[in-house]
Amino acid sequence: MSDLLLRMRGINKSFPGVQALKDAHFEVRRSEVHALIGENGAGKSTMIKIVSGVYQPDSGDMQLDGRAVQFANPREAHLAGIATMYQELGLYPELSVAENIFMGHAPMKKRLGLNTIDWERMESGAEELLAELNIHDLDVGAKVGTLNVGNRQRVEIAKALSLDAQILIMDEPTAALTESDVEQLFSIVRLLRERGVSIIYISHRLNEVFELADRVTVLRDGETIGMQPVAVTNEAELINMMVGRKIENLFPKQEAQIGNVVLEVRNLQRPPLTRDISFSVRAGEIVGLAGLVGSGRSETAQVIFGVLPAESGDILINGAPVKISRPSEAVAQGIGYVPEDRGHQGLIREMSIRENTSMAVLETVSRYTFINRAQERSLANRSIEQLSIRAIGPEQITNKLSGGNQQKVVVSKWLASEPSLLIMDEPTRGIDVGAKAEIHRLMSRLAAEQSLAILMISSELPEILAMSDRILVMREGRLVGEFSRAEATQGRVAHAMMSESARQVASAAP
Amino acid sequence: MQSAPRNPTVVEKLRRYLISQEGVLFLIMLVAVLFLATRTDKFLTVDNLLQQGRFMTEVGLIAIPMTYIIITGGIDLSVGSIMGLTAIVLGWSWQELGFPLELAIVTGVLSGTLAGFVNGLFIVRVGVPPLIMTLATLALFRGLAEGISQARSARGYPEWFFELGQGEVLGIPTQLWLVIVSVIIFAIVLARTQLGRALYAIGNNETGARFSGLRVNRYLLLIYSFSGFMSGLAGYIFVSRVSTTRSDMGTGIELDVIAAVVLGGTSIFGGTGSVVGTMIGVVLIQLLKNGLALSGVTSDATIVVIGSVLIFAILVNNFVQLRRDGS
Repeated sequence: MSDLLLRMRGINKSFPGVQALKDAHFEVRRSEVHALIGENGAGKSTMIKIVSGVYQPDSGDMQLDGRAVQFANPREAHLAGIATMYQELGLYPELSVAENIFMGHAPMKKRLGLNTIDWERMESGAEELLAELNIHDLDVGAKVGTLNVGNRQRVEIAKALSLDAQILIMDEPTAALTESDVEQLFSIVRLLRERGVSIIYISHRLNEVFELADRVTVLRDGETIGMQPVAVTNEAELINMMVGRKIENLFPKQEAQIGNVVLEVRNLQRPPLTRDISFSVRAGEIVGLAGLVGSGRSETAQVIFGVLPAESGDILINGAPVKISRPSEAVAQGIGYVPEDRGHQGLIREMSIRENTSMAVLETVSRYTFINRAQERSLANRSIEQLSIRAIGPEQITNKLSGGNQQKVVVSKWLASEPSLLIMDEPTRGIDVGAKAEIHRLMSRLAAEQSLAILMISSELPEILAMSDRILVMREGRLVGEFSRAEATQGRVAHAMMSESARQVASAAP
Repeated sequence: MQSAPRNPTVVEKLRRYLISQEGVLFLIMLVAVLFLATRTDKFLTVDNLLQQGRFMTEVGLIAIPMTYIIITGGIDLSVGSIMGLTAIVLGWSWQELGFPLELAIVTGVLSGTLAGFVNGLFIVRVGVPPLIMTLATLALFRGLAEGISQARSARGYPEWFFELGQGEVLGIPTQLWLVIVSVIIFAIVLARTQLGRALYAIGNNETGARFSGLRVNRYLLLIYSFSGFMSGLAGYIFVSRVSTTRSDMGTGIELDVIAAVVLGGTSIFGGTGSVVGTMIGVVLIQLLKNGLALSGVTSDATIVVIGSVLIFAILVNNFVQLRRDGS
């Protein structure tokens, strides 16, 4: 009898437009901490959602304890002993610690012929569970909302164990924790392992993987790239496995004449996600801003664009200091921002292409505040032609366009404003390969032919490497690295994005 | 212009208007008018219709900014209270403070505008939801009006003061001219100007509007102030029409106004609507009230009929618009 507890083979799962998992495999042994790592979009969440019954695989088999299983919903997975610890989502802040732990399976007793909750047994049960985790300082009667993040997480763990879980899934458990809380969490995880619980541990922080895990599985583009004991691998190898994909479908970048500094920011400050940021972007230059999700890239872009005005620090446009406290002021300074969330921030989806493309330049297409529709329409027609937007015509509602064409409408809105700096936040996320190449070609052309300064945020390293003249790396709200096009490699950039020790590497780079 | 679509023919244009929100509503109104005309011969007369125009002025004027506000996804429940406040400030500053009546009128309307500005300021700067803010000021402004008036009413205005509320110009009630001119101006403003475009953009997606560099806060502040101004104007006209000032003036008018706006095809969630539609809504409700009363229908039954027509009109319009979008 093997000690294999969970075994998944040939798992496929696709969503409209994307195959999230391709013939992926994964396994967990009894009493094992198994780390699951990969880039954003590699398929980690899909994998654990299949394990926990949120999604059902399109094909593939899953065995628990040697028996084939299939979970139609999270409850079935729960009953089979698979517990998932979400980031705070699973708790009710207005209820007590004990109530949260026993939510859905509170001990009952008959009173006056009615089934009522046995409060005493619930509280003592909660205390016992916490004691098993070596937690003796938590009041089971306290409202969860009054606890700090670390304690809430301990409640989550206790809740998971109240169901006799054999497998506990922890998704980025340390993301919001302080250092001392992290230590406590680690000791609980080790305690659980000793008691025979298996843990699937998802984290971006590789040092945690080495500190805690027994084995590690790397996913990339929905495939399982490797599975090995932590003892026989190292950080560099893991990063390589995570990002080492072929660079394909990317348009070769045009050489551009790099001109004067268009944007310079000095000591930009808006904690927690923008801390002491200083950099510059020149005319004709594409600067890539890399970093993990949550590292503060979008927030920094929005500080520059005035959505989240800076608390302190300077913004200089063409060498002159400017004050930007709202988007309209940024637009007036010649800054355009293609936001990450296309449908919510970039477009007014209910409105037509014509109305969207003129949204940032209403002044220019108006006379005495009256909008000149003919001028608007010709602007829209020009955009449709220049960016080859596939649409019936300028009056088409943007909601009905494909993702790539929607993105082109957003870009054309900002091109209409003739900016000197264009910030593009995940410009090709969620759009198909063809449209992606078109956007890349466009960016490259804008920089080379119109000397546009472009600040590009992207979570895709190949995109960052192929498009950027210079690469900046952010982590936890700070700039932690800068690479020229020549010196940048996937490994170096990824290392700076993820690793604690990258700071020295980055500062050593010229 | 190689691939430009050919210009639509007159027939096509007419067809497009007829199946628009406003077109469908207009047809419903025609049917209602014809039906009411068969019930009583007192209804479809020039005198009666002009008289109804006089009565719907206050609702009509306030419905214009209300359309703007609802298009942005907001609401203003305090319009009736602002009307009352304006009326009281007008009478009080004239009679108690000894202002010249002209100045008292300006003071009254300005205080209404200020009240709207206060609404807008809290909505924009503090982020209070419009429903909550104006529900609070619905009570607050009414309370202010009652406090200032001390249950006294101001009467004895000079003859010229009644011109706006009771006079005629070219055979048409004076205030009706004001409504007609306002509707034309503000329908064009909504349909053709940057302000109008911004309001639709805000109503459809406020974040998107902000991220496009539109001055969202400024526009919102402007339309809530505008709402206060029009409510103040309506308050002045109301005093001029009924010759007296009381603090309960305009009570409940917000519901008539909102009903007309929504009946006129403005989505309560924002993003769509027009001033013309709203006006058809205002007229339809007023004519139904009047025509049914003249036909001898009791007032409680009238309310039931109006409610039913509201629901019917909205259903028919939903059906037509759904078919249109589907085709």
